[in-house]
Amino acid sequence: MTPAWTIPSAFAGALLVLLLPARMAGLSRVIALASAILGAVAAGSSCLARLGAPDAPVWSLDRPWIPAFGIRFHLAADGLSLALILLTGIVAIAGVLFSWNVEKRPRAFFAFFLTIIGGVYGVFLSRDGFLLFVFYEIVILPKYMLIAIWGSTRKEYGAMKLTMYSIGASALILVGLATAFAASGGTSFDLAHLAAASYPPALQAWAFPVLFLGFAVLAGMWPFHTWAPTGHVAAPTAASMLLAGVVMKLGAYGALCVAMPLFPQGFDQWRPVIAALAVIGILHGALTALSQKDLKFVIGYSSVSHMGFILLGLAAATHWGLRGAMLQMISHGIIAGLLFGIAGRVVYERTHTRDLAALKDFDLWKTLPGAALGFTLATAASMGLPGFSGFVAEVSVVIGLWQAWPWLVLAVALGIILTGAFSLRALHKAFFPARNATDPAPRALPALSWPEVSAIALLILVSAAIGIYPKPWVLLIDDGLRSPLFQSILTKP
Amino acid sequence: MQLLPEAVLVLTALVLLGVTVAVESRSGRAVSGGLTLSIASAGVLLALLALFRVPAEGGSGTPLVAADSLARWTKGVILSLGLLAVLLPPAKREIANPGEFHALMLFAMAGLLLAAGTNHLLLLFVSLELASLSLYLLAGFPRTARASEASLKYFLFGGVSAAFMLFGLSLLYGFSQSAMLPVIAAKLGAAPDSALAMAGLLMVLVGLGFKLAAAPFHYWAPDVYQGAPATAVALVAAASKVAGVVVLVRLLVVGFHAASGSAAWGGMAAGWSLWLAVLAAVSIVFGNILAIAQTSVRRLLAYSAVANSGYLLVGLCANGRSAAGAALFYVVVYGLATLGALAVTAAVEREAGNDRPESFAGLVRRSPWRAIALLVFLSSLAGIPPLAGFFGKFALFSAALAESAESGAAGLVWLVGLAAVMSAVSLYYYLMILKQAFVMEASPSGEIQTHGISPAHALAVGLPAVALVVLGLVPSLLLDPITSALGELLAAR
Repeated sequence: MTPAWTIPSAFAGALLVLLLPARMAGLSRVIALASAILGAVAAGSSCLARLGAPDAPVWSLDRPWIPAFGIRFHLAADGLSLALILLTGIVAIAGVLFSWNVEKRPRAFFAFFLTIIGGVYGVFLSRDGFLLFVFYEIVILPKYMLIAIWGSTRKEYGAMKLTMYSIGASALILVGLATAFAASGGTSFDLAHLAAASYPPALQAWAFPVLFLGFAVLAGMWPFHTWAPTGHVAAPTAASMLLAGVVMKLGAYGALCVAMPLFPQGFDQWRPVIAALAVIGILHGALTALSQKDLKFVIGYSSVSHMGFILLGLAAATHWGLRGAMLQMISHGIIAGLLFGIAGRVVYERTHTRDLAALKDFDLWKTLPGAALGFTLATAASMGLPGFSGFVAEVSVVIGLWQAWPWLVLAVALGIILTGAFSLRALHKAFFPARNATDPAPRALPALSWPEVSAIALLILVSAAIGIYPKPWVLLIDDGLRSPLFQSILTKP
Repeated sequence: MQLLPEAVLVLTALVLLGVTVAVESRSGRAVSGGLTLSIASAGVLLALLALFRVPAEGGSGTPLVAADSLARWTKGVILSLGLLAVLLPPAKREIANPGEFHALMLFAMAGLLLAAGTNHLLLLFVSLELASLSLYLLAGFPRTARASEASLKYFLFGGVSAAFMLFGLSLLYGFSQSAMLPVIAAKLGAAPDSALAMAGLLMVLVGLGFKLAAAPFHYWAPDVYQGAPATAVALVAAASKVAGVVVLVRLLVVGFHAASGSAAWGGMAAGWSLWLAVLAAVSIVFGNILAIAQTSVRRLLAYSAVANSGYLLVGLCANGRSAAGAALFYVVVYGLATLGALAVTAAVEREAGNDRPESFAGLVRRSPWRAIALLVFLSSLAGIPPLAGFFGKFALFSAALAESAESGAAGLVWLVGLAAVMSAVSLYYYLMILKQAFVMEASPSGEIQTHGISPAHALAVGLPAVALVVLGLVPSLLLDPITSALGELLAAR
């Protein structure tokens, strides 16, 4: 199966779910799961095919679309795209499983869910700036709807805030892309063409930050990150998983594959600023997570902190840095999905609270041992313990950073310590509370259902697999980083 | 032969008036709205057919009527949009005499067709007045205080702006001793700095700015959109706006391109390009910000019309072929979306009794197809892919940048950036309506009874929605005819 299957599988699934007659609404989750699995299998088999034949030309699909503007329907799947669509497929499966019991308007829910998945696949595969932007924008309305209709905790505010940040960022991307189009002669939106053109340094100096900021807002760069915790907390579980797991990666991917290659001199000029903001993001996110009362807010701010590592890897602009940024995208996609799934679905649906103090009464490690085990492993992965994906990613970023700005490693080390602190605090308070013998016995909670167990197992296994044997992922990423797009931005091989 | 479509429209209008009188004298009761709607739409269809019979070659035999492909294209578009407006039936209680109402619609369309296909300034003025006078009457058709206020405001503002326009035209005549556009343009090419011609042009722009509802000449729009029958508003918002943009293209981009001046950052020079840029900036900021505060969906659409006029002017002030083409594309797409949104609003209004956003609550439950159509219209207006409005904005901004970039690096970036950011703001108020339709449940106390809409009304909702989706996926369908029509005219430039 070629990567071409991923996008239609998601959109066809969305359409099919929408067209289901009302009495068959229960079937929508089955269709959604089938569509997610189809996409993931297509992505996985494409990854295997690429690893088996690394020197073969990359898969691509190139058709004229809007000739008047030199816009083509151009998809291609190098190693970076393949790794990221596989991540998307895995998170999509877990998301459907964690939403198995959505009762309220299930058809619309899964239709919006699958539309986001399709848009994300599209962004990761696009090689035309316009096409990429189309897919990028397709996810905006479904995001709003998922949060506003199925969300909790100030859902309308969270949904609107997230949407306005996204669309505002898109406006910047539009201006940046249109500027590149205009300055390169106004003949083509092909990313390779745009990246090959040479732009005057004066233009790059302002066009790069415009374009980069557009993507970085979605990647949760401090100080434009505030939509992320609010939005993630308000969102229903599957949407939080998608938002933190893959949608934030769209921003990082766009920064890496569009903003930086298009305006390399501008990037070089602004690198220190990006690095500084990334470090502030890591520390600020971790410190804020340390003081949160709501379990989902802890995870939301931890996402901001973890996304800081990605931006830091990008700013380092060495091979190790970019590789680390990519690994962190994949690792965080899996781990954030897992954390949000357990906190938002498994725990909240049973206890109806995410308040760390209130969770004490439930004594979760006794009443919900499966969730406690899953969350513990997820926390270990999130803290970057060896054996999980987070370790591989953070080590790569730190090596890349050492090559660029050695003294910044100190700040990052502080960030890693803080990550341990807030992760353990949340784990301890939520799942292993200190209880007195006089406290009332916790009431029994329903055991984990099979979709929950399989989703948790899937995500933990993937994270552990990357941690124990990262080679295939590294090969895929290195394959993608060989593209001529990145040669102009790498400061060290 | 060139005027066959206009003749068909006028004849149909006369037939309508005759039928009205005949039925009234025969039965003593007013003619039924269904009958007049059928006759009027048959007349418009016939005019469309007649347009295809008009020979493309050989000229018109009179210098008054232009027989170029831009005129043909525009007439086709105006007739199609006019047909959709006619299909939207006026509310029974609003319209005492549907025969006269529909006859006036046809007269207005005939005026717009004439205006779109002439290079003679006096015929231009007369035909615009024919359209305007009919529209003033249409706006005041319901015998309500609000409609009378709308009609009076429309008439007063329209009268003053017509006076400005006529004065401007007389100055242009004084400058060139001719009312023929090509002659004036040639004279202006020889003396581009003539103060007389500049003053004339500026006054003409005031008149056309009123037609387009560009700020600060927009004060009539909110009242007309709110008070006039939805059918008349649909004609004002869609067909009349297309005619206005085509007249501007003919006058400025084709005719007076030598006097364009420049609105490029750092290289501003007096001329119509700079004036349009100022109008555009004011309209975009004013329209979008005031739209946020509206509690009536119709008034909101009026302010959105002001903002959208601003986007159109951005395309025109770049003074280039593809930007003008993008503006023409955008005005058609905008017309379709606004017309559709008005049709849905009219349906809701007749069920709920008012057009407040809260009346849309629970629309997706009441009438799912109308809600989905509304989603299409408002998303297209907000520029969300894969709908045509998205490509329209993208093309407009890219082309404006590309064509202004030739002179200097920055070009129109200041204006395009403003437009893009304010366009992001517009999603906020469109989402406020969509939130009611999709997220909110109708309050149980104010349960709104649904009754079906007439087949014609359903067409007025359905056809634009389908068109927006198709044009979003295959923009070349509309873009290529525009490009070739403009290419023919601008080749002479």
